[in-house]
Amino acid sequence: MTDSNEIENSGELDPRFENFAAYILDALDDEEERAAVEALVEADSAARAEFDELTEAATLLAIAVPPVAPPASLKARILELATGGTAPVITPAAPIPSIQIPRSTTRWSRIFQSGYAASAAAAVVVLVAVGALGFQNRRLGEEIDLLRTYLDAEAAAVVGLHAELSAMLVDSETRVASMKGEMDQMEDEFGATTAMFVHQEEMVSELATANAALREALRDQSWLTYVAMKEEFKVESWLADHQATSDASGIFAVRVIGNEAMFQVNGLEQPVDGFAYTLWLLGNGEPIAVTQFAISEIGSATVAFILPAPFFQYSSLVVTQERVDSIGPRPSDVQFLSAEAN
Amino acid sequence: MDEVHRLNYQGLTDLELLEHISNQDRDALATLYERFGRRVFSLAVRILSDSVSAEEVTQDVFMSVWRRGATYVSKKGKFTTWLFSIAHNRTIDELRKRRRDLSRTNDDIDDHLNLESGDVSPADATVAQSEYAKIRAAMEDLPEEQKNVVELSYFKGLTQTEIAEKTGQPLGTVKTRMRLALKKLRKALSAELGTQV
Repeated sequence: MTDSNEIENSGELDPRFENFAAYILDALDDEEERAAVEALVEADSAARAEFDELTEAATLLAIAVPPVAPPASLKARILELATGGTAPVITPAAPIPSIQIPRSTTRWSRIFQSGYAASAAAAVVVLVAVGALGFQNRRLGEEIDLLRTYLDAEAAAVVGLHAELSAMLVDSETRVASMKGEMDQMEDEFGATTAMFVHQEEMVSELATANAALREALRDQSWLTYVAMKEEFKVESWLADHQATSDASGIFAVRVIGNEAMFQVNGLEQPVDGFAYTLWLLGNGEPIAVTQFAISEIGSATVAFILPAPFFQYSSLVVTQERVDSIGPRPSDVQFLSAEAN
Repeated sequence: MDEVHRLNYQGLTDLELLEHISNQDRDALATLYERFGRRVFSLAVRILSDSVSAEEVTQDVFMSVWRRGATYVSKKGKFTTWLFSIAHNRTIDELRKRRRDLSRTNDDIDDHLNLESGDVSPADATVAQSEYAKIRAAMEDLPEEQKNVVELSYFKGLTQTEIAEKTGQPLGTVKTRMRLALKKLRKALSAELGTQV
């Protein structure tokens, strides 16, 4: 049954006195709490009043216990102890014999009965003292045993804790090593990803460049086609790689009026370092290197120049690779593009 | 002559007897024992469930009165309160010592707490019916939880922390229930307290 007013009633309780009931019922856990209660009761009249009230109530608990009659011998034993516990004042008139002492009482009480009261009293003093010391020693021994038990339990707990901590440490080290491995792997993957990304960027850049060059070549071709259609230029030759070393090709055109010429090439590979593509006109005396030109990333170029003589005076066109700024009198043997002039 | 002397002692109050005891008056101690010995012994039996140990406790209690009677200060409370405090304290000490011993041998203390009431005489039972009826009725009227914490502390010797652990109640709740139980008893029996013991 729960007291419906319990919570309400507890609100009326002074929190300073919360340990009073436990003190009175011998239910406090340690001496510090007991000392605190005693100090408060000594110092505070309200605390004293509360304490006395609860103490009186606790007395009722003792009174309400079902009565049990103690053995008759108990009273006699207590009175014997009381007599023996005091200074050995032994008088002949002492009414010892009037007390019914059972045979089961202590040995020194029978000494009284035998008439050796004085010596017995002295013996009792010694026995009580020895008994008290023995009792104290027994209690101390019990306390030591108890403390030893506690210490054993604490030691076992420490060993267990140590094992647990060691296991945790090993586990932590394993996890750290595992995490480090994962991080290394992630770093490698990140590095690979980064390299791939850079490579892709480079490819994109190259594609953009190629795209720009292609646009330029297409624009040039378109222009040439345009001017040819307008008959401002006349396409004179289609250049090709007759040695079939590549897919390179080109177109050569000359302005209808005047000596201006243009050619446009595609598909050439990048020249060897220190060399440049060179256009030759042949068939009118000594070969003439009319121009050196660079090509774009996709191997294209559009070049305009002035013919040294009318185009029909030449028999062929040749594109070779010659040393930059050091062109020989004749074209090299390897011809990358060539065409007949007529 | 001795009988007259004893009768004179019977007419003394508790405090007057205690004064004589302070002067090492053995007859005063005998009278005080006759007055309270049975109650102290009954309390010890109720808590310890062992008449032999209860005898030792009762003996120790009256020897404490014999030695420490002069230290009793009447303004700090009634003599009976003082006496039963000593009795309860000594009994609980014995109970806890026994519990420690039992716990070392992994024994179960509850197996040893078989209350024996066979020693109650018909006369005592009659007295109990009349003298303690109101107190017991007041105790029975306590809420179950409050009665339980009183039983576990006062009669089973558990500390308030042990009670909290055993019952699963918060420590503060245990403290409150102890106080409320005592206050209710006090309130219900305020009239009795003026005349009891």
